[in-house]
Amino acid sequence: MSREDILQAKDKAIAHLRRVFGDDAETVIAGERYGFIGGLLKEALKKPAVEKLTISDRIDKVVVNRWLGIPIFLALMYSVFQFTFVLSVPLMDWIDAGFGWLAEQASGIGGWFGSFLANGVIGGVGTVLTFIPPIFLLFIALAILEDSGYLARAAFVMDRVMHKIGLHGRSFIPMLLGFGCNIPAIMATRTIENPKDRLTTILINPLMSCGARLPIYILLAAAFFTAYQGLVVFSMYAIGIILAIIMALVFRKWLLPGPSGHFVMELPPYRLPTITGVLVHMWERGREFLIRAGTIILAVVVVIWFLGSMPWGVEYGSTQSWLGQIGSFIAPIFVPCGFGQWQASVGLIFGFLAKEVVVGTFGTLFGVGEEALGTTIMAQLGWTPLIAYAFMAFCLIYVPCVATVAIIRRETNSWKLTGFAVGYTLALGWIVAVLIYQVGSLLGLG
Amino acid sequence: MAREITIALAGNPNSGKSTVFNNLTGARQHVGNWPGVTVEKKEGRYHYHGYRVKVVDLPGVYSLTAYSLDEVVARNFIVEGKPEVVVDIVDASNLERNLYLTVQLIELETNLVIALNMFDLAKSRGYQIDVSRLSELLGAPLVPMVATRKEGNEELLREIVNVFEGNTTKKKIKLFYGSELEEHLTELEALISRDEELSHQFPPRWLAIKLLEQDEEVLQKLGVSNE
Amino acid sequence: MVNQHMPLAMVSPGETVTVVDVRAGRGLQRRLADMGLVPGTTLKVINGHAPGPIIIDLRGSRLVLGHGMAQKIMVKV
Repeated sequence: MSREDILQAKDKAIAHLRRVFGDDAETVIAGERYGFIGGLLKEALKKPAVEKLTISDRIDKVVVNRWLGIPIFLALMYSVFQFTFVLSVPLMDWIDAGFGWLAEQASGIGGWFGSFLANGVIGGVGTVLTFIPPIFLLFIALAILEDSGYLARAAFVMDRVMHKIGLHGRSFIPMLLGFGCNIPAIMATRTIENPKDRLTTILINPLMSCGARLPIYILLAAAFFTAYQGLVVFSMYAIGIILAIIMALVFRKWLLPGPSGHFVMELPPYRLPTITGVLVHMWERGREFLIRAGTIILAVVVVIWFLGSMPWGVEYGSTQSWLGQIGSFIAPIFVPCGFGQWQASVGLIFGFLAKEVVVGTFGTLFGVGEEALGTTIMAQLGWTPLIAYAFMAFCLIYVPCVATVAIIRRETNSWKLTGFAVGYTLALGWIVAVLIYQVGSLLGLG
Repeated sequence: MAREITIALAGNPNSGKSTVFNNLTGARQHVGNWPGVTVEKKEGRYHYHGYRVKVVDLPGVYSLTAYSLDEVVARNFIVEGKPEVVVDIVDASNLERNLYLTVQLIELETNLVIALNMFDLAKSRGYQIDVSRLSELLGAPLVPMVATRKEGNEELLREIVNVFEGNTTKKKIKLFYGSELEEHLTELEALISRDEELSHQFPPRWLAIKLLEQDEEVLQKLGVSNE
Repeated sequence: MVNQHMPLAMVSPGETVTVVDVRAGRGLQRRLADMGLVPGTTLKVINGHAPGPIIIDLRGSRLVLGHGMAQKIMVKV
């Protein structure tokens, strides 16, 4: 076919050009293009003789400085953390009180419908919605970091650290975004050209504790570790990061060895984030959360309420209900972890659909709002702080939510890899939870 | 009777492409300044003087080589989707690098409108751009814009339609690659033109350039694997 | 006589240099070419943490290059 001659002519041409230029035709072509552009601009563009150092450069002198870079980054991360939590608390109390009032009105209606509304809907969904403040505030903080251009600098600063675990600066941004939500974070890995780097970044991303897990930590930390709640929540994030680092090393050393990719990145000039811009970003991501609350979580909560009320006439939320039976069947697996109660199992099973549902499940099962939920769990399930901590760690690690699994499938194009992601996180979560509980018990932290 | 046309938005990451997209379609979209956070192909619509325009926002790319998935997606949409007009969003404060993509869009023989965005930033840096001269040299209409302030929007809408209708006075240009390269390009071009299917799918000269670049995707299409 | 050629990684901040050669695979060469880095290009080193990534001013925009890459780009002062 005529294609053969085309290809032969091409090969001859390239060989000839290589002799003439001492370089690939490709490089010469690129050079010619820039030459053309240069010529163009000589005619049409006039730059001032000396360009003053831009403000961005001046800021970068400090931010990207060899000694100050990492401390500045850590300080910023810490303030983001503080900002999110300190501001959330009063807001959350306010929302919770509101739902509490609603629940009272609903119970007043009486009968199974009243129970459905009070326990099912308000207990479940309302509890989750109480966490709007920290989640949205976190998204605002991330949006500011992104819009201002600082995120690119952070990747630069962290590149040396990333290198030590076999990745590079480009992997840093998806990891940071994972603290908001793993889905856009995994999509952001598209800029990583090296497939092994990209795969590793995708696989460890679920260990970056997303916004949906926050309600679990806050709820349990407040109830079981009142004095140290901030520290406990922070420790969850830290554990996630440490595990991600370990898994990255594991993956890069044994499962996906190979040279690391190349780090080239543009540093856009700093921009003052606009209020509208930040709010738009916050809304885009936060909207996902609300939609999930309205759909998945609501649906799950209804199902849970239903399963908890059946068979007909059974005491709501008791071990004899269908829900109780399902939970009791799975529960033994979690006995070594300390949370071998059927209610916990049910929460974790449904938590696969959306991590917020873990809290929603408890809320529906026990029919109480956020304020009392923590202590209710303590009383009804007999948990100690150690068990609560093991449970939190399990929630942190075990399987990505179904939406994230879908994204992983799409971005890796492989059911095998997706299955691996689900499997390894499940196993890792169980092992860590068991370790925490067993070792903790031995140490008498009980 | 409304005319339906499809246009594509192309440009470097950080060139303000998303802002232009929002201005055109009125949709609230992510104004991300980090490539990769902007997701896939965003689509939107607008109406203008009897035209129903579908806008496809391509991934931000620096080039149309087959090096990364984003570039392949962008390129394939232009080649296969054949949008009626391509709007290239150029960061005026960063012309040298931004025009690298523009040049490739010209070689793809697209109907081009170039939006010279962030014009204010260029001015504040003391750059003086001779817009009409540059437009002539590039062979495409140039619209200075400050997308964040919606300046230049009207003119852009107008030029898009102008280009679509063929009402533009700009003569399309051709890049001269030096006698050595040109010799081979002409030869390849001739061979390609003889292949009806190929020359119908791709502009022959563009394909010739891609062959010399050993573009993986093009070679795959011709049934060869590269090295 | 060969003019002082050295890897970009060894250039001090503030210096302006010209690219002579890119000793890397096609993929990397192309990536750099797309960003404007081809033999003959002038660039200025803004910042650098050796060993570590460096920031350069290339054709008007700021680019970060990893250390490995900076070692493969040969420049002359």
